[in-house]
Amino acid sequence: MGALRDAAARLAGSLGRRAEEPELDEEMGFHLEMLTERNVRLGMDRAAARRAALVTFGGRERFKEEARDEYRSRPLEDFVQDLRYGIRSAVRAPLFSLLAIATLALGIGANAAIFGVVKSVLLDALPYADADRIVRIYGRMADGSLERSSLSAGTVTDLAERQRSFESLGHFYHTPVDVTYAADAGPRVLKAAVVGKGYFRTLGVSPASGRLLADADAEPGAAPVVVLSHAAWLREFGGDSRAIGRLFRFDGEAHELVGVLPPGFVGPMGDADVVFALDLTPALRDPVRARKQHWLGLVARLKAGVPSDAAEREVIALGADLAREHPDAQAGLTLAAVPLRDAMAGETRTPLLVLMASAGLVLLITCANLASALLSRALSRRKEFAVRVAIGAGRGRLVRQLLTESLVLAVAGGALGLLLAAAGLAALRGLAATALPPYADLSLDRGAVLVTAALAVVTGVLFGLVPALAAGRPDVQRTLREESRGSSESRRSRHLRGALVAGQIALSVSLLAGAGLLIRSLLAITGAPLGFAPGGIVTVPVKLPGGAYPTTEALMRFFEQLEERLRSLPGVTAVASTSELPTANMNRNGLAIEGVTWPAADGSPFIAYSSVSSDYFRTMGIPLRRGRTFDPTDRAGAPKAIVISEGMARRYWPKGDAVGARLRLGPGTEGSWAQVIGIVGDVRNDPSVPVPEPMAYASSAQETFGSRIFVVRTAGDPMAVMRGFERELKALDPRLPPGVPATLSSVLADGLAGRRLPVLLMTAFGGLALLLASVGVYAMFASMAAAREREFGVRMALGSSRRAIAWLVLRQGAAWMVIGLLGGAAGVIVVARLVRNLLYGVPPFDPVALGAAVATLLLCGLVALLVPIHRATHVDPVAVLR
Amino acid sequence: MTDIGKGELLQGTLDMLVLKALQLEPMHGWGITERIEQWSRQVLQVNQGSLYPALYRLKRKGWITSSWKTTANNRRARYYALTAAGRRQLAAEQQSWDRLSSAVNLVMRMAAAPESA
Repeated sequence: MGALRDAAARLAGSLGRRAEEPELDEEMGFHLEMLTERNVRLGMDRAAARRAALVTFGGRERFKEEARDEYRSRPLEDFVQDLRYGIRSAVRAPLFSLLAIATLALGIGANAAIFGVVKSVLLDALPYADADRIVRIYGRMADGSLERSSLSAGTVTDLAERQRSFESLGHFYHTPVDVTYAADAGPRVLKAAVVGKGYFRTLGVSPASGRLLADADAEPGAAPVVVLSHAAWLREFGGDSRAIGRLFRFDGEAHELVGVLPPGFVGPMGDADVVFALDLTPALRDPVRARKQHWLGLVARLKAGVPSDAAEREVIALGADLAREHPDAQAGLTLAAVPLRDAMAGETRTPLLVLMASAGLVLLITCANLASALLSRALSRRKEFAVRVAIGAGRGRLVRQLLTESLVLAVAGGALGLLLAAAGLAALRGLAATALPPYADLSLDRGAVLVTAALAVVTGVLFGLVPALAAGRPDVQRTLREESRGSSESRRSRHLRGALVAGQIALSVSLLAGAGLLIRSLLAITGAPLGFAPGGIVTVPVKLPGGAYPTTEALMRFFEQLEERLRSLPGVTAVASTSELPTANMNRNGLAIEGVTWPAADGSPFIAYSSVSSDYFRTMGIPLRRGRTFDPTDRAGAPKAIVISEGMARRYWPKGDAVGARLRLGPGTEGSWAQVIGIVGDVRNDPSVPVPEPMAYASSAQETFGSRIFVVRTAGDPMAVMRGFERELKALDPRLPPGVPATLSSVLADGLAGRRLPVLLMTAFGGLALLLASVGVYAMFASMAAAREREFGVRMALGSSRRAIAWLVLRQGAAWMVIGLLGGAAGVIVVARLVRNLLYGVPPFDPVALGAAVATLLLCGLVALLVPIHRATHVDPVAVLR
Repeated sequence: MTDIGKGELLQGTLDMLVLKALQLEPMHGWGITERIEQWSRQVLQVNQGSLYPALYRLKRKGWITSSWKTTANNRRARYYALTAAGRRQLAAEQQSWDRLSSAVNLVMRMAAAPESA
């Protein structure tokens, strides 16, 4: 500490001295020479003249020092002195300082971490040129059965031809797909984006090397080419640019690698390792795929000068035209343009803003806490200040010194908070990966650090101001007189402190109530029955290359053999396969029911849909309610069988006559009705939505695709059967890449991450607030009790009971707690409005959540009270009065 | 240090005298002491060394500025010059000095009167 102080002082002095010192020497030397010359003129010899001059001039070093004092910058020196003093006084009260720094570090750390997330999700530039000029175009069913839907090939081409608002449009397959890459070490599964003409032009991306896909690559008959993501290029080819121009096998076909994407690029469909070109012509020729399958994402770049709302209106109008022109395929389907960032940030905006606000509240509590702590300290140092004023310190100087002291604490707390934020972000990166948009790169960047530094300084000034102003107005005489008698603190500062504590209580109650509401709604969501039993299930996607399995029979044979082999593995109790796992984004098919005409404005409703093997319901634990599930009679060529969920049966056959009813699901089924053969229990596909949606299942024997997800129920550790799984897969076809397994529970957890994260963080903030407020309550009562110790001693001596004294302490502080709780009531209203959109199954003014918040706070407040009350009631009258 | 013949400077008057000495033209430190001694007919002896802290003080207050020049004898020396603020300050000090000295004179003569009466 001493070395640091000396260094600071030396620095401050040398700033001015460096320039002035030699000049001062020269100037004084000139003066001495002139003096010497005069003495010579008066008749002395040179040596005597010089000696006399030195005597007349006087102590040279002393005057130099005095001159130095004049030119040395005073504000800087004062600041250094204050700084030195601030550090010294922080060290002298280690408990107070540690508490202050830790409190601040937590408050600032929470804010910096959340700001890091908010910035990377909502503020950072998307990895595209002029990203705010790009919109995403979605479909939406008027009846709400489809939101943010993909578009058909026909819609995409019609839009591109008719629109006038955009300079370029780019379509892409709505989700990344798995491809098998024949690496030297063996086949591996990579994620692929499949994109059409104009995609890269619209996003405004330039290659890191080679070229990106051109329109010609998406023409019919073009040579197959592929572009790699920067990460995949480094991973697969070690960043070797000689790989560009060479051929590599993807899904059994040779593709030329033509270029590499820039680092950090993420497409609107999500992370992908490779990008393929998409030719729409075959789809457009097929009447079903052209209009009735919605499978394309579409981005569009606004023309210069076209406002985004005009473009949105044009898209809506064109959507209405298309719906009119193709009533059979597009009735009820509307189009909408959404800014690309909103499309990609998705539903993270509201929770992030709520979290940011919560972190802000924590910081406010931090400030209040520190203000009252500094106030206490300022009060206990009143005598010191009075003495300083008495010996001539200016009031402004005193205030400045107190501000410097709080700045010292703020900077220390801010630095520590930054470390906490970095640690917090590292933790969040793991927790939030699936909950945040793919482009979000959680890091504590320069902006976040700057904002944090600003926070530290503002906080320092803010919480330094209150005690500084209180101390700046000391009545010197009275203070000196009273302090020696040890009387209690003034009414004014007592009220100030009470108000600060009341404010903390109000903010804490609000935060706790918000956290309570979120916890309650998460419980309401996770508590609702899923409709299936995920425990013990491992899921493995298996994809067969089209070339090796050209017929449906070949596919069927492979999948049936694999199911059979898996069933015999030890530890496996059931095996099934499905086209899709229950998730938020299930494939949906338009529904037609024999004898039912949908309202023309709405069109047919879209129903979540998957094709499953016979044992699917048993493996998943989905109960059969009526009729039967699929059996070997539901094979290819037999009449098509459909199993529906209870909810779907209730909604479309309210009279209970669903089994045996005839319906069609999906495009291309015109002319042949399928029959409902059974009703099974409802399933919540999206684990973050508490109510199940209507669901229909087809038999995978009658609807066979080249890729399926195997669902294996195990008796023990679900991942333990994977070795056997790989063995059986290899035995059937050694060219297949090993599957990427995931337990069903982890798939569900990923689906819930977006909901769990805000709950987790807000609860953490609520806990933090509670801790801080408890410390605040404790500090208030402790110093209140300490200030009146003498009085209590007198009362005890005069025969007052301990209970009466405890009551005195309690009454003085309880008023502020009540005020705080009332303020909290107002805060709760604000918080409830803020989180309203995040709630499920809980009213915004849920009495349980609010009651729990108040009770928790009161409990902690009471615990915080115990020590001061104990101290007050155990005052030794003799010791105090002596 | 209190010999009466050679006048010690009254506390706080050095600054005022320095400003006065610079009223006509810029001057170096040595020149300032000489000028004050000349003008006071060798009665006021400026404590040579203490001139410099005073100069730096005046500079910090913004009443004088300094710059290096060559003297008539071709020597390098730092010259000090009055600023506008310095001239205002000089005028103010002149005024308050006049008031003070005439008041002191009044008192001193008044004290002598009863004796002569």
